[in-house]
Amino acid sequence: MDINILEKNEESIRLIVEGINTLMANTIRRLILTEVPVMALDDIVMIENSSVLHDEILALRLGLIPLKTDLDAYNLPEKCSCKSELGCHLCRTVLTLDVEANKPLTVYSGNLVSEDPHIVPVSEKIPLVKLAPGQKIRLEAYAKLGKGTVHAKWQPVSSCTYRYVPVVKIDKTKCNECKECIRICPKRVFEETKGKVRVANEIECILCGDCVEACNKNQSAIKLDKKQNSFIFYIESTGALPVERIFYESLKIYEEKILDFISQLEMAINVSEKTS
Amino acid sequence: MIIPVRCFTCGKVIGDKWEEFAKRVKAGENSKKVLDDLGVTRYCCRRMLLSHVEIIDEIIKFYERPKINKEEEAT
Ligand SMILES: [Zn+2]
Ligand SMILES: [Zn+2]
Repeated sequence: MDINILEKNEESIRLIVEGINTLMANTIRRLILTEVPVMALDDIVMIENSSVLHDEILALRLGLIPLKTDLDAYNLPEKCSCKSELGCHLCRTVLTLDVEANKPLTVYSGNLVSEDPHIVPVSEKIPLVKLAPGQKIRLEAYAKLGKGTVHAKWQPVSSCTYRYVPVVKIDKTKCNECKECIRICPKRVFEETKGKVRVANEIECILCGDCVEACNKNQSAIKLDKKQNSFIFYIESTGALPVERIFYESLKIYEEKILDFISQLEMAINVSEKTS
Repeated sequence: MIIPVRCFTCGKVIGDKWEEFAKRVKAGENSKKVLDDLGVTRYCCRRMLLSHVEIIDEIIKFYERPKINKEEEAT
């Protein structure tokens, strides 16, 4: 296996992974979407809410705020030893909101006060509700770890995709330099240098095939292909976890699942041997 | 009513980008340029900001008025 990082910044990463098949690429994608846990506000205790948004709407908006997650410090509620409904300090943390308006006021995610300074909203500028003078909001919100299978607010990513690595070839013997491919390509894969068409940006190709059709009707000079067993991954974090950590966690979960499968299989084989 | 916290389709947080978007577009800037500056690349997220109307501002006025009336009565 060979991994090549194409680009990386704080919230997203694009990389080429060579030497895996579709099955594994898709497994990683699905594990990231559904199994990698992050923190989100789950139970909301509404003490007072005289705003124009109903309790449910406000609670839903609170739930969707991505929280910076400290995965090592918290347990999943279903795996925590406390087994209590509202949780203990190992499986939840409390954020409070207490605002009263004297003049028209916007309440932001930054107004939430967290019990644990590590678990705070990713962005402080998400508007939650607007208050008219005299309106008041007081609430307690319980942040818990959860998985994307239960609710999309627990997904660590806002985009997680993979696609084939494109291979674009121009057969110079068939090309009549009509430049039609340069005009039609939506991703600007082709370029003109010294009057000749050249593949300049192969990796951006989305294999749409427009260039092949726009070329000579009978025998197209352009050939599109996909590289075997290579994928371009694109992962965009919500900010709850760093992108590398998301990748790492998904692989850890993959390993756990495989090991669990092996041990279950061994047990089943042992049982059937004893009975026969 | 109020700008959604996340994009309906992909789940990217767009709530925190609304105020800057609204302010700059109102000031006469090209909305395409503002969206590009804010790093909103996918069209699902772009339509969230482009098509949004902040109606809550209009509703809040109904709750401001009674208070002002009361104050006027008192004086
Ligand atoms: Zn617990
Ligand atoms: Zn989107």
